[in-house]
Amino acid sequence: MNGVVTYIRRDFLKWTRGKVAVISSLVMPAAWLIFVGLALPVQFTGNYLDFITPGILVMTMLSAGLAGGALLMFDKILGFLNKFLALPTPRESILVGKILFITGRGLIQSTIILIISVLIGATILNPIQYGFTYLVLFLFGVLISGFATTIALYLDDHDSYAAFNTMISMPLFFTSSALMPYSVMPAWLATIARLNPLSYAIDAVREAGTGIIPVLPVGILVVLCAVMLAICMFVFRKVTV
Amino acid sequence: MDAIEIDNLTKYYGDLCAVDHLTLSVNNEIFALLGPNGSGKTTTVLMLTTLLRPTEGRASVCGNDVVLNGEAVRKKISYVPQDMAVDIKLTGRENVRFFADLYGVPQAKDRTDEALAIMELSDRADDLIRTYSGGMRRRLELAQALVHEPSVLFLDEPTIGLDVAARKKIWEHIGTLRKKGMTVFVTTHYMDEADQFCDRVGIISRGQIAALGSPTELKARLMKDVITIMVEGDCPSLPVDGIEFIGRTGDEISFSAENGREILPVLADALTRAGVRVRAMSMREPTLDDVFLQAVGSQEEPHGFEYNKFRIMLRRRK
Repeated sequence: MNGVVTYIRRDFLKWTRGKVAVISSLVMPAAWLIFVGLALPVQFTGNYLDFITPGILVMTMLSAGLAGGALLMFDKILGFLNKFLALPTPRESILVGKILFITGRGLIQSTIILIISVLIGATILNPIQYGFTYLVLFLFGVLISGFATTIALYLDDHDSYAAFNTMISMPLFFTSSALMPYSVMPAWLATIARLNPLSYAIDAVREAGTGIIPVLPVGILVVLCAVMLAICMFVFRKVTV
Repeated sequence: MDAIEIDNLTKYYGDLCAVDHLTLSVNNEIFALLGPNGSGKTTTVLMLTTLLRPTEGRASVCGNDVVLNGEAVRKKISYVPQDMAVDIKLTGRENVRFFADLYGVPQAKDRTDEALAIMELSDRADDLIRTYSGGMRRRLELAQALVHEPSVLFLDEPTIGLDVAARKKIWEHIGTLRKKGMTVFVTTHYMDEADQFCDRVGIISRGQIAALGSPTELKARLMKDVITIMVEGDCPSLPVDGIEFIGRTGDEISFSAENGREILPVLADALTRAGVRVRAMSMREPTLDDVFLQAVGSQEEPHGFEYNKFRIMLRRRK
């Protein structure tokens, strides 16, 4: 446990010292929120901002997770991983620390996006609703950072990973329920959207916002997380010894 | 019980045998594993530091088997790999403290200060690493490695890429650690450094130990003067009696002889008679380079570069 905290602290210090990275990661979701959330003329809801905010929060977690996937790969390429693996600290704490750091960083970014959304007119929720929102975002963060880390370790090459990242982030976002409800989607898109893991997270955040406790989506996310962590651990063990 | 005991340690990368039934024991000394690039030095260190699983054989560090009891081994050792990996966005103190915390060192703060002081980095401890020179970064890595007072220190090419002054400093520090009772296992391909600073060297070639002993001992085995001649074209391998062939690199051929001064003119005559054109001749006392040449044999690569084997090796090493 001690090791996990130490690894997280290292990544966190490194992150906060790169000012550009901290700011730039917030620009895209904020831009979506403001330019699309406030400007898009839609008929299916009175407050589009309230509708799109869950989608943008999940998108923030998605891009934070995908960006963080490269961290462990870089530790490996630059020789840090070998140094860490030769330490008596349990080796799994490297991986756990990394996933928790990426998720935590995503949650910090999401909080800023959430504050911006309230400032520009989104409805303020009660603490329980925010609690569920954060639970869902946390689970989704673990899922996506585990996935990204696994892919990056597997590809083992920075350029390939960057290409992969670009390739999946936009399609995942557009084929989810982030921008419109299933009812207004074309049938083919609705089918894809219902299978997209992003939609589970978005729907769950949205349900929390409307006062329903999102049991089923949270359950699905927990299962997906468990499967993903098992795969991630397997790949990590394979590349380490 | 020796600090490091290696018994028939073997590692295959596919068909490529990187380490071939290596048997060795190291205790309480600065031991250098000496060899050309690709001779199996790093692979050996990776197996000893539990980062790579041996194909065959066994090894133990401080009595703990590296495969069966990896965690106990990792508690006793420190490992500084070849590529300098320090976080450039953190300060020197933060980098060392990070390792102290990972090792779970009691009084981590004091130990961090102490390790930085030993490596003479105290006055720069709060500067970001991006302002450090290569030699300072290497010293910082050593500070990270000794923060938990390991029994065995593994250094993979500790002086690679450093200037002469920085190298000397690193070796002086390694010497200090040795005096404190640490066993230091280094790999290097710099003969002169091994000669000057190490208690014992093992010359490794194609994954096997080709010569083992203290630098003085190894040189004493040659004992004789070394005569080097430069010739054009071929040369009979033993042109006169009383000399011994050591090795050949390009046009340069080395021999050893009991009494170089007397042999030199005889050899010159013999070569002239044999119709060989001699361009230069020289004579000197033996160095570790000669020991190395004799142990490893011709330095010319007999098969050239085997791209496929190299690729397999790279893939496995990841």
